[in-house]
Amino acid sequence: MNLVPGSEGGFAALHAWAIATAAVVAAGCALVGTLLVVRRMSLLGDAISHAVLPGIVLAVLAGGRPGGFAVLGGAVVAAVVTVLLVQALRSEGGVAEDAGTGVVFTTLFAVGVVLASALARRIDLDPSCVLYGVLEFVPFDTVAVAGLEVPRAFLTGVVVLGLVGAGLAATWKDQVFAAFDAEAARAVGVPVAAVTTGLLAATALVTVASFEAVGAILVVAMLVVPAAAAELLVRRLAWMAVVAVVLGVAAACLGYMAAYRLDTSAAGMIAVVLGLEYAVAAIVAPEDGVLARGAARARLAWRVRCEDLLARLWRADEARAGPPAATGPGDWAAAAWLRVSGRIVRDGDRWGLTAPGRAEAETVVRSHRLWEAWLGRHVELPLDHLHPPAEWIEHHLGADVRRRIEAEVGGEESDPHGRAIPRERGRPNA
Amino acid sequence: MSQPAGIPYNTLVVAAAVAAVGFAAGVIGSFGVLRRRALVSDAAAHATLAGVVAAFLATGRRDLPTLLAGAFAAAVLALGGLVVIRRFTRTRDDAATAIVLGVSFGLGIALLAGISARGIPGAGGLEHFLLGHTAALTAGDATALAAAAALAVLIVWLGLKEATLVAFDPAFAAATGWPVALIDYALVTLMAAMVVVGLPAAGAVLVTALVVIPPVTARLWTERVATMVPLAGAIGLVAAVGGVATSNAVPRLPTGPTIVLVAAGVFSLSFFVAPRRGWFARRRAAVDAARALAERLRAAAAGEQTAPDPRGA
Repeated sequence: MNLVPGSEGGFAALHAWAIATAAVVAAGCALVGTLLVVRRMSLLGDAISHAVLPGIVLAVLAGGRPGGFAVLGGAVVAAVVTVLLVQALRSEGGVAEDAGTGVVFTTLFAVGVVLASALARRIDLDPSCVLYGVLEFVPFDTVAVAGLEVPRAFLTGVVVLGLVGAGLAATWKDQVFAAFDAEAARAVGVPVAAVTTGLLAATALVTVASFEAVGAILVVAMLVVPAAAAELLVRRLAWMAVVAVVLGVAAACLGYMAAYRLDTSAAGMIAVVLGLEYAVAAIVAPEDGVLARGAARARLAWRVRCEDLLARLWRADEARAGPPAATGPGDWAAAAWLRVSGRIVRDGDRWGLTAPGRAEAETVVRSHRLWEAWLGRHVELPLDHLHPPAEWIEHHLGADVRRRIEAEVGGEESDPHGRAIPRERGRPNA
Repeated sequence: MSQPAGIPYNTLVVAAAVAAVGFAAGVIGSFGVLRRRALVSDAAAHATLAGVVAAFLATGRRDLPTLLAGAFAAAVLALGGLVVIRRFTRTRDDAATAIVLGVSFGLGIALLAGISARGIPGAGGLEHFLLGHTAALTAGDATALAAAAALAVLIVWLGLKEATLVAFDPAFAAATGWPVALIDYALVTLMAAMVVVGLPAAGAVLVTALVVIPPVTARLWTERVATMVPLAGAIGLVAAVGGVATSNAVPRLPTGPTIVLVAAGVFSLSFFVAPRRGWFARRRAAVDAARALAERLRAAAAGEQTAPDPRGA
């Protein structure tokens, strides 16, 4: 790690420790966040991250150190109290869950800020640390482990990551079951309430472990953003967790380095990098990305245009009319492509279908007329209303569906307009 | 105006403005809470910090209107971000809210820390927008805030019917031809504006409480919108004034948390003593119902033994 060219090794080591701490807490947050996101509990994570503040302040007042183990218990208690309060407001006062969450976490956070301000002289807890952490100072508060001076926050982060990782690994199946079908899970005896409580406790633990590094509010970014980005990128939950951890750790490293270059808050920049990661994921994700979906839409529009052109040529042949006029540059482009791919040929001053082109056109027209026949038989629609739905669905019917419709309309030879339905290629009509 | 001894004119003007802001926040928050937009306003609120700092960086000025214009732009951008995420990704709404909140607040923190690291002159005091600070407000600023609050209340009053309908039955409103999406956007934008107006008093982190707690509290007392909205305004007024007075009395205590604590106090009290929906009333109703049931069972049992069936003979 050579963040500062020409500096002495000790200075670089401080940065390395700070980055390592950020990476460890980001990994823990991303792991827990994966389950929070798929269980639609993101905002509970937000609420807990705010609400642990009074627990931390009281624990510090009782002699614990921020980032030390003594504070973890206080924070878990505060988190559980938060959740119980929101539930109590709903069941006992009929307060809607989002409004109740808003009431509880703002109140608890306010209690924490007032306590921290009132006790500022008696406890070592800077209000700015509460809001956005002091990652830059983390390496200066060390404990000796096996002869090595290790930052206390890093140690806490590692222990919490180990605890949370082991806990999730041990209950993974139940977590997944509870996440995707809580009712069924309960029915087959999965202790859903215990699984949920465990998740909340894990949320509280990673929140407190992150507290010193990034503060109470930016934790929500570390919890939710990597998981939400991972959800766009992969389908399986286990892979989602892996990708979320990778994204979280990458953001911790890049964010810290960017903050160093720009001379600003590391916690803030980590959140900004996370936001950029999410934006990139939303754009380039293989199936759900804006680009992928745009490309899929464009491919479909192109196929529809080509098939429509083939079908128009086929109908013109059927009616022994001249070739239809092309309607625009899109049609010329489609015609060019169809010619290159050997489905139509230029025949003097008109277009003609080749054998493969004719087969494809017949399939489209067959789908169209079968659908009209089916609609004419089963739906009370005037004749001139049959065309538009068929014009749309002709591009989406597979051979199997066509056969079933044909069976349904009883081997009808023509559509309701009296035009013959082309036969399925490769097999004679029954 | 006769002036109470010892309280300077400026403090009185600020108190009056904060009262107006608290009232307006309660009124507008009522529709936000009924429409289940409580946490959306929180995302907008956290985003305002970046707007405040960016406005300062862009203009070099730090007068309140400039900074709050930046804050409002950032809040609207945050809401736009939510709309974009909903439209273009399959990320669910709760995660989208958390993403916008966390990332925009991180940006605000990074901008703020960058400014203070560079020692840019005139940047002092921007950090007051985190947790609120009314002591530095001038009478002119306070008057402008009060005017903005009054304007927001006026807009809601003019659109009361539409806002109520959309808040309670968006499906019916849509079916009868109301532009529900438009009214919804207007409502959320008004929430964002309210969050911005409340910013100097309550700060980006906690200003949501100003638009959420008073309506939730008022809802405990009444079933009627016509009662709930002014009551929420009154509770917001009490919380804002009480909070500002408390924080003025205690040195170095930011205003936002004290406002929240006063509001939370009113809420806790209401949660227990409110008629019908309060905890005591519910307990009493449950006991009364049990007692009435026992009475009827006893009467029925006694009737079977002694009295002849009235329908019988």
